[in-house]
Amino acid sequence: MIELDRVTAAVGDFALRDVSFRVDPGTYGVVIGPAGSGKTTLLETIAGIVPVRSGTVRLRGGDVTHQAPELRRIGIVYQHAYLFPHLSVADNVAYGTDDRALAAEMVERFRLGALLDRDVQSLSGGERQLVALARALATQPDILLLDEPFAALDPRTRIVARRQVRVLHAERGMTVLHVTHDFAEAGRLGHRVVLLEHGRVLQMGTPDDVFRRPASAAVAEFIGAENVVLGRVRGVEAGDGADRVVEFTSGGLTLHAVSDVPEGEAHAVIRADEIALSPERRESSMRNQLDARVVELAPSGVLTYVTMDANGVELVAAITTRSAEDLGLAPGRDVVAALKATAVHLC
Amino acid sequence: MPRAERRRGAQRAATVVTAAFASLLLLFLVAPLAGIVGGWGAAGVRALATDAELRASIWLTLVSATVATLLGAAGGVPLAYVLSRKRFRGRGIVAALLDLPLVVPHPVAGIALLLMLGRDTPLGKALLAAGLEITGSRTGIVCAMMFVSAPLLVSAAREAFDRVDPRLEAVARTLGDTPWRAVRRVTLPLAGRGLVAAGVVMWARAISEFGAIVVLTYNPKVASVLSYERFTAFGLKSALPVAAVLVLLALVPITVLRTVYSPDSLPERRG
Repeated sequence: MIELDRVTAAVGDFALRDVSFRVDPGTYGVVIGPAGSGKTTLLETIAGIVPVRSGTVRLRGGDVTHQAPELRRIGIVYQHAYLFPHLSVADNVAYGTDDRALAAEMVERFRLGALLDRDVQSLSGGERQLVALARALATQPDILLLDEPFAALDPRTRIVARRQVRVLHAERGMTVLHVTHDFAEAGRLGHRVVLLEHGRVLQMGTPDDVFRRPASAAVAEFIGAENVVLGRVRGVEAGDGADRVVEFTSGGLTLHAVSDVPEGEAHAVIRADEIALSPERRESSMRNQLDARVVELAPSGVLTYVTMDANGVELVAAITTRSAEDLGLAPGRDVVAALKATAVHLC
Repeated sequence: MPRAERRRGAQRAATVVTAAFASLLLLFLVAPLAGIVGGWGAAGVRALATDAELRASIWLTLVSATVATLLGAAGGVPLAYVLSRKRFRGRGIVAALLDLPLVVPHPVAGIALLLMLGRDTPLGKALLAAGLEITGSRTGIVCAMMFVSAPLLVSAAREAFDRVDPRLEAVARTLGDTPWRAVRRVTLPLAGRGLVAAGVVMWARAISEFGAIVVLTYNPKVASVLSYERFTAFGLKSALPVAAVLVLLALVPITVLRTVYSPDSLPERRG
């Protein structure tokens, strides 16, 4: 278990401020955030490399805030590997363990056998990263911190490395905290996502939570939400609390949404795959049916991204390329864009 | 004449003038020493066999410089590590103070040491009571050598540590190393060549020291003091074999340094 409670830590001019979150035992947590958001500093704070100014760091339920790194029993893998350049690949892998069999197992898992006698300075970026993973895991840590470990890997090596980390995570019940700037990777790997920006936690939750219900327009844009529209919540149409249906307007566009945001300025976030297109209005349970004109088509494999003008507001829908062909979509074509009130997330 | 051609001509002239200045400087630096070695090197080597005082002074110089370097390294390497790795208030002041012995004239350094360690000073008296005489002793020679040359070791060792990425130590710590063990297993091997070079620089500076030693400890005579004495007492001809031996001696650290710091052996910062 990894738990941070109002942790503040600084490196040079940069600081983590009041960071609190928890990753349960055996859980795969992912920290995402743009470059410079403090992701590496966060991992180094958990590892004990960066000292904590205030707050508490707990590992396995125990307070380790001021404990030395070597006593925390964690593994850390940096994006740049940081292999020891004066040691061979074999000596790097075995650096933290006296158990040669364990080191050999890691060599086997990460397919490093052919590299063992190599000077680490002659390795490719991907090979170095695999050696760094093997070196960290050879100490049998029950907590593993990964700082963009797959970023330098070619696609094939990335698959091998990712699979081995997932397998080891499952086999050993390790708690993993994995830093990435790639939300798709976060969604594939993580049970829990922590979104960091400027040293602060913007949002945490399951990948689906963060994906469907980003806490702010900044989060929505970072995770790649296709439609983030600034407007106003005009009034409550029905209900109270979290279940109320409100009206959101932006320019000539009016949307119905299920939300508890107060009246006033807000952002509407709509995932492109929540928007259905049809040639004309029809009876359905979808509260939002918008007249729109196709501006651009961007085929991307099985999906086609359709950019539309809906009463002066640009919206993007993702539909199958086959559907786009069946509908005869082309720039200038009028369509009806339909989406449920529950698909409009206000923040 | 076209403008481009005029520009090319000016560039050629600038190259010739620059090369001439560089060559003259090189000649100015090398010629006097080459003259001593060429003219008197063989006589110097022969004098080593026949001149017991010269042999003794060379031996004293070598031993004193080695002891001063070892003592300087014992304190200087940890100090260099702290200055390289730790951020603390007053770090800049400590670094500036360490440079001070390098910029004061060396006789002034000798006078400063005499004021602190002389027989009539409280510290000098206390050391004398403890059986350690500084002035006029081998200990004094080592002190003078350390004072003027240890800052060079600290500076070079600090650069050597700066070239080793601190994250490598951090990784070693997460792999179970204590701070000492991480330094021993990772930082020292990676900074090793730089540290050896730092030691050689200090040793080389120590064997060539004259100003501070002559003020603090005229006797017993190190080689530089002996060559000065022979020059003032017996003239240039008597001083030349001693001078030639000193120049030959200086070639040793220079050769070691060039070997340690050849481009192929430079440690690289990896990450």
